[in-house]
Amino acid sequence: MEKSKKVGGMKRFLLESAGFLVTAFLFVIYMVPFALIFLNSFKMKRDIITNPFSFYAKKGYSLENYVKAFEKMDFVKAFGNSLMVTGLSTIAVIILAAMVAYYFTRSKNLFSTIMFSLMAASMIIPFQAIMIPLVSIYGAGLHVLNSRFTLIFMHTGFAMSMSVFIYHGFIKSNIPLSLEEAACIDGCTKTQTFFRVVFPLLKPTTTTLVILNVLAFWNDYLLPSLVLGRKQIFTLPLSTYAFYGTYSADYGVIMAALVMIVAPVLVLYLFLQKQIISGVIAGAVKS
Amino acid sequence: MKFKKVIAIIAVASMVMGMTAGCGSQETSPATDSTAEESTEETTETTESTEETETPAEESAQADLAGTEISFLNSKGEIQAALEEMAVTFEEETGISVEIIACGAGESPYTKITSAYNSGTAPTMAMLDTTDVVALAKEYAVDLSSEKWVSECENQVTKIDDKVYSFPFCVEGRGLIYNKGAIEETLGTTFDPATINSYDSLKKLLEDLRAAGMESPVVISKEDWSLAAHQLGFIYDTYDGTTAGSTELITKLKDGSLKVEDYERFEQFLTTLDLLLEYNINGEDPLGALYEQDPIFLADGDAAIWANGCWAWPNIADAGASADAEYGFLPFVLGNDTADFANNGIQASASKQVMIDAVQATDVQRAAAKEFLNWIVYEDSGQKMLVETAAIIPACSNNAYAALDPLGKDIQGRLESGKVFSSSFIAPSDHWSVLGASMQKYIAGESDKAGLASEIDAYWTSQK
Amino acid sequence: MGSMGRKKGEKIKNLLIFALPGCITFCAVVMVPFLYGFYLTLTDWDGVSKVKNVVGATNYLAVFQDAQFWSSMGLTLKYVFFSVILVNLLAFVLAYALTNGLKGQNFFRTGFFTPNLIGGVVLGFIWQFVFSRVLVNVGEATGWGIFSSSWLSDPGKAFWSLVIVTVWQLSGYMMLIYIAGFTTLSTDVLEAASIDGATGIQKIKSVMIPLMVPSFVICMFLTLSRAFMVYDVNLTLTGGEPYGTTRLVAMHVYEKAFTSRNYGVGQAEALFLFLIVACISGLQIYFGKRKEVEA
Repeated sequence: MEKSKKVGGMKRFLLESAGFLVTAFLFVIYMVPFALIFLNSFKMKRDIITNPFSFYAKKGYSLENYVKAFEKMDFVKAFGNSLMVTGLSTIAVIILAAMVAYYFTRSKNLFSTIMFSLMAASMIIPFQAIMIPLVSIYGAGLHVLNSRFTLIFMHTGFAMSMSVFIYHGFIKSNIPLSLEEAACIDGCTKTQTFFRVVFPLLKPTTTTLVILNVLAFWNDYLLPSLVLGRKQIFTLPLSTYAFYGTYSADYGVIMAALVMIVAPVLVLYLFLQKQIISGVIAGAVKS
Repeated sequence: MKFKKVIAIIAVASMVMGMTAGCGSQETSPATDSTAEESTEETTETTESTEETETPAEESAQADLAGTEISFLNSKGEIQAALEEMAVTFEEETGISVEIIACGAGESPYTKITSAYNSGTAPTMAMLDTTDVVALAKEYAVDLSSEKWVSECENQVTKIDDKVYSFPFCVEGRGLIYNKGAIEETLGTTFDPATINSYDSLKKLLEDLRAAGMESPVVISKEDWSLAAHQLGFIYDTYDGTTAGSTELITKLKDGSLKVEDYERFEQFLTTLDLLLEYNINGEDPLGALYEQDPIFLADGDAAIWANGCWAWPNIADAGASADAEYGFLPFVLGNDTADFANNGIQASASKQVMIDAVQATDVQRAAAKEFLNWIVYEDSGQKMLVETAAIIPACSNNAYAALDPLGKDIQGRLESGKVFSSSFIAPSDHWSVLGASMQKYIAGESDKAGLASEIDAYWTSQK
Repeated sequence: MGSMGRKKGEKIKNLLIFALPGCITFCAVVMVPFLYGFYLTLTDWDGVSKVKNVVGATNYLAVFQDAQFWSSMGLTLKYVFFSVILVNLLAFVLAYALTNGLKGQNFFRTGFFTPNLIGGVVLGFIWQFVFSRVLVNVGEATGWGIFSSSWLSDPGKAFWSLVIVTVWQLSGYMMLIYIAGFTTLSTDVLEAASIDGATGIQKIKSVMIPLMVPSFVICMFLTLSRAFMVYDVNLTLTGGEPYGTTRLVAMHVYEKAFTSRNYGVGQAEALFLFLIVACISGLQIYFGKRKEVEA
């Protein structure tokens, strides 16, 4: 990203330093809660409650919360379930949504207009308004609850509108029609054009959507709690249920669990960050 | 080029998956959830017959309950692990497997049971608050009137139209929790809780504590459920100390024939509440209280009295109190009549009710569920685990195990000596939320007695 | 632009391959339950009962009589207004700074994104501590009146606590979408602008902002809908307290349906909420599109 090494000298340097300082300051504020969670996940409950902001812990630091969380959540099994549900849902959403969005931008007919409006509108349906009808239809009506595949199907459906919406915006403004026509001058099919030309060009958007969707699926609590009724198929967030009492919560263990749940998403995020950058550089080199 | 092929393959695969996910899951569901499948299929045949032919069905099923799978919705999050342990022992002894289903964080049991009934995955047994059972019983619960345990738990069962639809799972009591050690240390004398039996005696105690250096001896939590369902609830429960009495009072409030400001208990209640607020450790900013911090004041001896119930023990223990420390209940004193039952006993009643599903479960499952309840009431291991593993105060008098924590012990002792009143007022489900807000306004000084009274009146008269 | 498919047969084939799988999934999960939910508002169903009687518009009339619904709607509008502006402002600035070769920008991006990973009870716990304890300690140390008591016990400040936590949580999310927008911006355009001698500010104003309009439309829309629908933060941070003054509309709807057990009315209120948000975001998209430049 060396694109703006131009004239400016001192002024530019000062501006950049100021920018850096402001960003760094905001960064610290943004990170504080997460740092606190990390810090407190090693403390015992009383120390957490009396002084969550202190490094000092009367009863000392220990890994006890992690051990307890790992065992009680049946972490390995829950991790596997989460991985499967999140992975398959994300793949399904990304591909289906990119195709739908591509169709909507390139085929302006009644069907795409209506469906696009419906999807945009659906994003503002409060989940509470669908919750009970949803379980009535899929539970009492079709008897398909208590299955990870139903959850994947539902995740895909719920995430569809936002993903289509975002893809739609970017395809429209950033993928020139002429490019497609040039790339497939010798008459390849639409499917080929899409997968060979359009989809690769969407990489930065795809990466963003992967992150957003993975995050949503991985952390979701409400929908899985409605769909998955049996412990064997619980996802990670569901499996933390045992740490919450009616009048109290086991904060140390909850925070340890949270760190373990969040860590994989952070790693994925860091990894995909590089992908975004290299994608852009590759694009720049070609042109 | 290879990369593109891979993408194409994934695309096709996921499309197929997307389209067939519905069918795919249909295939898998019998394997993953046999109970739900069975139960819903059977619903149509059994609904009409179950209610009348309860006993024969039970008898025929009794023979081979081993291997039956049932589920139990738990609404007391803090005993989830204990219940799971109990389920393991129960399965070892009977071969019946019980899955304990938890209500998640922030999810109300009622919402959970609502979605379960709608999705056809209702739990065989559900532990609910009395209000919820009253709302659901006639349509969804098995009539348990002829169960043997009804006689053991006579004083604690809830009757709806003279029928018993639920098993009283535990007794819970509330009042003013005191920390005896903190009081004695501050005052330098021994403290006899029995001496606190009137407004004046409580006032004297608080004055003495302040004079001896404990500036703010009282903790009042700001949570709406605590303020409305537990504190304000005393005005209903002390009408005459019985649930029937509280219902009578509520009927009068609903039809407007009694205004709460003309009701003596309300006057007494606010007088005591004002006293407590004067000594509240969360004093200047009572709504800035943190529920996690409140028990720490008590355990550390910064305060000596916390208006709460026996369910607060885990919090007090987490705050550092040991199980052999001396904690107990003072009555939430009302007025100066030392002969008043409200000043000599605390409120303690069955607070969680277990109902058995009459609609979606099979006969065999229902019989297994009854077996589970009998195990808790009659089997030694069930009795023992209920009290010692789950730290529950049993509602049935035949269970002789002693509670392990001081608050439980206090209530058990009071149940034996009769120093309790068992009224458990039944209010609409939003009572705690609506009047909780009114109570918060009052303790924050945003409204006065007249304001609070008019909101209470308005709430009740707006009920159908 | 009828570039897709010259013949009718091909058109249908494209429709089948591209649009149908996604659209069917969407309809099955979202639209069908939504329509069924609409039917339920016309009945007197209480959420569990086996009996459903069609009662017509009764529930909708009840919505108009529910003063609390409208007052929480008013509060929500105020909340949405401030959240949308602050979230987008901050997200845009951050995205700009973090796509411009700032040192350690990957690291920063990750940091700004982490608030999204924290939800539920833990989020409430941490922030409650900040607003009711840390700020009070700061107040004691500095003597500043604004920090003298817990922010969560004062209706006005509790409202701002909600806005602050929302901004903290959503800006990193929107930042990500703006970043995608910035990185997809053709580098040529920027290079060309620089060669023409455009300075930083000019570059932003005349080149970038117009090209970023699609990202704006998307982010504004997402923030609008998230803010209108906010429930988790509301529940865990203030729980509607103090005395019910911070109960936003989604929480009111939920309580109406499940705590007050007025399922039909709650469902009808959810539909009202839907209609109101639909109008507002419809307008927003309409005006956004008019500003959009064809790239």
